[in-house]
Amino acid sequence: MLAFIGRSVIQKIVTLFFVSVVSFAIIHIAPGEPSQVDPLNPKFTPEMVERFRQAFHLDRPLYVQYAFFYRDLLTGNTVSWKDNQPVLHKIGERFFNSLPLFIVGTLITWTVSFPVGIRSAIFRGGAYDRSATLLSYVLISIPGFFFAYMLIIFVVGQFQVPVIGMQTFGMTDTPWFFRLNDRLWHMLLPSMLGATGGIAVLSRYVRSQMLEVENQDYVRTARAKGLPWEMVHYKHALRNALLPFVTMFGLILPGLIGGSVIIESIFSWPGLGRMAYEAILARDYPVILTINFIAAVLVLIGTFVSDILYVIVDPRIRL
Amino acid sequence: MVPVGLSLILLQSYFWVPSYEEQSRGNAGRLEEFINASIGDASILNPILSADSASSEIENLIFEGLIDRDENLRFRGRVAESWTVSEEAYFFINTAQPAPGSGDGDVEALVAYLQTLRNQPASLPENLQGAFGNIREISLVPARTDTVRRQQPAAAGREAVDLTIRVTAPPRVKLTLRDVDPNLFAHLAEVLGPDYFSSFQPRRYVSVPAPIAQTELDLLAKDLLPAVEHNPVIEFRLRPDVKFHDGREVTAKDVKFTYDAIMDPKNLSPRVADYEPVKDIQIIDPHTVRIVYKRLHSPAVGTWAMGLLPEHLLNEDRLRQEALRTGRDPAAFSMRQSEFNRRPVGSGPFVFREWKSDQYITLDRFAEYWEGAPNYKRYIYRILPDLLTQEMEFYAGTIDAYGVQPYQVARLQQDPRFQNFSGTSYAYAYIGYNLRRPPFDDPRVRRALAMAIDVDRIIDFILYRQGERTTGPFLKQTEYYNHAIAPVSCDPEGALKLLAEAGWRRNADGRLEKGGQKLQFTLITNSGNDTRKSILAIAQDAWKQIGIDVRTDLVEWSVFIKERINKLDFDAVVLGWSMGIDPDLYQIWHSSQTGPHQLNFAGYRNPEADDLIIRIRQEYDLDRKVALCHRLHAIIAGDLPYTFLYVGKWTAVLDRRIVIRETDPGGKDRFRPIQPTRTGNYMFYFNQWTKLADAPQFHQ
Repeated sequence: MLAFIGRSVIQKIVTLFFVSVVSFAIIHIAPGEPSQVDPLNPKFTPEMVERFRQAFHLDRPLYVQYAFFYRDLLTGNTVSWKDNQPVLHKIGERFFNSLPLFIVGTLITWTVSFPVGIRSAIFRGGAYDRSATLLSYVLISIPGFFFAYMLIIFVVGQFQVPVIGMQTFGMTDTPWFFRLNDRLWHMLLPSMLGATGGIAVLSRYVRSQMLEVENQDYVRTARAKGLPWEMVHYKHALRNALLPFVTMFGLILPGLIGGSVIIESIFSWPGLGRMAYEAILARDYPVILTINFIAAVLVLIGTFVSDILYVIVDPRIRL
Repeated sequence: MVPVGLSLILLQSYFWVPSYEEQSRGNAGRLEEFINASIGDASILNPILSADSASSEIENLIFEGLIDRDENLRFRGRVAESWTVSEEAYFFINTAQPAPGSGDGDVEALVAYLQTLRNQPASLPENLQGAFGNIREISLVPARTDTVRRQQPAAAGREAVDLTIRVTAPPRVKLTLRDVDPNLFAHLAEVLGPDYFSSFQPRRYVSVPAPIAQTELDLLAKDLLPAVEHNPVIEFRLRPDVKFHDGREVTAKDVKFTYDAIMDPKNLSPRVADYEPVKDIQIIDPHTVRIVYKRLHSPAVGTWAMGLLPEHLLNEDRLRQEALRTGRDPAAFSMRQSEFNRRPVGSGPFVFREWKSDQYITLDRFAEYWEGAPNYKRYIYRILPDLLTQEMEFYAGTIDAYGVQPYQVARLQQDPRFQNFSGTSYAYAYIGYNLRRPPFDDPRVRRALAMAIDVDRIIDFILYRQGERTTGPFLKQTEYYNHAIAPVSCDPEGALKLLAEAGWRRNADGRLEKGGQKLQFTLITNSGNDTRKSILAIAQDAWKQIGIDVRTDLVEWSVFIKERINKLDFDAVVLGWSMGIDPDLYQIWHSSQTGPHQLNFAGYRNPEADDLIIRIRQEYDLDRKVALCHRLHAIIAGDLPYTFLYVGKWTAVLDRRIVIRETDPGGKDRFRPIQPTRTGNYMFYFNQWTKLADAPQFHQ
């Protein structure tokens, strides 16, 4: 076990290095300049463009820029080009805005998809299964932004309540209880929207996993020996069907960053995904690369955790 | 169980959220807030450092410059109470040239001669009387000897050289003028002799120990000792009662500090180019500042609209303290890193309060604003990156103004709940041709191409009529725009006739040909702009109709700029320029700016236009400037290096309850509806705006 952990940590560090090189190269090869350098602005003389490029080290060879960037990142000194704010501080702030949305969304996704998927599998072919299937395909097919607009127009039109942002604008002198609920309300739509797509996909997975297990010999045996219905489905079948989801659980971590660009933009939610998107538009390399690096670290940690979890959950696997 | 519980918790929250009606009814404070929305967040709230529109929108409320523009886009004083523009002009005594009155090189005699002419203008020919009447003082600057250090930049085959130059300058005559006079030396030459200035040999007064090429030395000498020099002088008189938000008075020191901060290379200010012509800035007394320029450059006046920075919060000491406090290297720490940019202090009508990145920026009114505090107590700038969201928020009353999309204008203008304003934007769209390449080098072809396109159709169908035709590169709202010029009308038959004159005739297939060569080219634009894409299609179709083989291409913006525009590798492009109020066209239209990476990428060259562009830059008198601009407009509209398409129209909707509140001398409030200025700016009287609880009825 220890040997496995050691090996896997080394492997992941090597992978991380390659990720850092490739992402750095891709961003610099992509055309475009930081938005501070605007060659079509008559007020920008070529000397000034050159001065900006020097200040951002853009005139140095790529490997020097790479060294500069990762030196700053590892010492925690990276600064955004857009507003000169420390990148880690910016990311930290946004992280705590995205986190509740992510937690609520994930909770809803996982807690809803399992019952729905399991029920579909148990009563496969029935009216419930078929309507659930239809609904999931509808939800998968509707583009997220369109669905979001429809929901906003519906809610604002019907109930005349604000839904945009993290809280109602200008609600500052109200008791904490109102404010808390106000925040919850603003979380409702975006997290539900984030969850619907997830539910549609995940419940399909659950259903097919369940179906596969339900056809196994040991389930038939369990049924044959006259075990109660719940026991057969929830103990013998479900436990085994759950195994592959352990892997998935590790992989939802990086969703924290990239999962919600569109929803965050539509709802003016000041989260991580939106910051990353705006940084890409402004070619704010330090922010893009830092987020990218953190995402890579999260993916690697996620896979690592799911490897370990797998060992714990599945007694057949020995390292 | 968990999902049900969670959903219940979330859903119950609905009952605690105020609906919009409750917000404005129970919340009287809302009427005293103005909430504006923006797609993007500000980046840095410091007028000398920012380059994006969101930041400058906020800066305009927090900071204030010496001057700004009034209803008619002319200058008016803000922090400055008044100002004068005068000139100091110099010329070197040219001993090689005998001049009247001076005998051979008697300097004092020459000055005395000029003084007599000035005192008795009647003795002069009529065209010189004005010029001499404008001279306030004539004096002599004695000869001086100086040592100057210069670095000669590296050139082919050699390194950069440091030169120590000995300059023994001859005496100089200084003329102090009442008004700036660009033609002063032309007029003086009529008295002193036509070659008096041009035959001055600066080379004779300069010696360099190190050997350098003769031509280089000539250039250097000319640069160090120019025969004549115009030094326009602006003297601003500051209002005595203007305060920064922290209570400190705004003084001439702050003006000088703002200038120094812009020029400090450490700060990387994007506005350096605007202030490069400044020679010297002097503090005469705490409320008078005098700015001397190196040369005639009238766009420089407008640069003093730049917001003034508080010296006492940003001087070297303060920055050093901040660097030490935050544990950074004081040597590398500049204004760019300062916390000031996140919580600025200025002297404008609003005081900075709070900035939540990507959420909102709030400002409070400044009670001690010199012109009287604004009516609104608070200004809130919300960041709503999605247009539909903005629209929904506007309908619901949580933002007060909404910039309407062209396709919504017809509908929203009818809406009785809103008042609407529209005007033309400070930008125009055009099709630009690469005049270096045939057939675009032939003006007849360019005119024919313009005649083939029905611009009105573009305006009707692509812009939903939210555009107006334009005929030249000046801002339509200003006096500089020449309204006498009619736009090129759509006339495909006439276009064919013109092309035939140029030698292009239709062949058997109906394609235009000249000497076996087909008329074909590629029209490109950047991808991601639907309007330009549609213009591309309409132009292609229109030109195909008359037999031109046009291909089109969409290129990603940065590639488009880097590979096509900057390298001058294109036939024709659909693009747009945004315009400033000042009519300086140097960078986009002067023939010296036609190289790669320069902005005259069309390659427009016209000696007469060049001359006018320079004269416009040097002219300080508004009426003369307007006349020059009208002439230049006519020349460009005749040459048609671009097919000028349109200026876009914007429309904004506001809640009907927002009105202007003024207090008359008796202390009574009077209300009147918001009226845009002649140039279409409806926010001009923003400080007098107020929101009423109910929509008012105004009677004529």
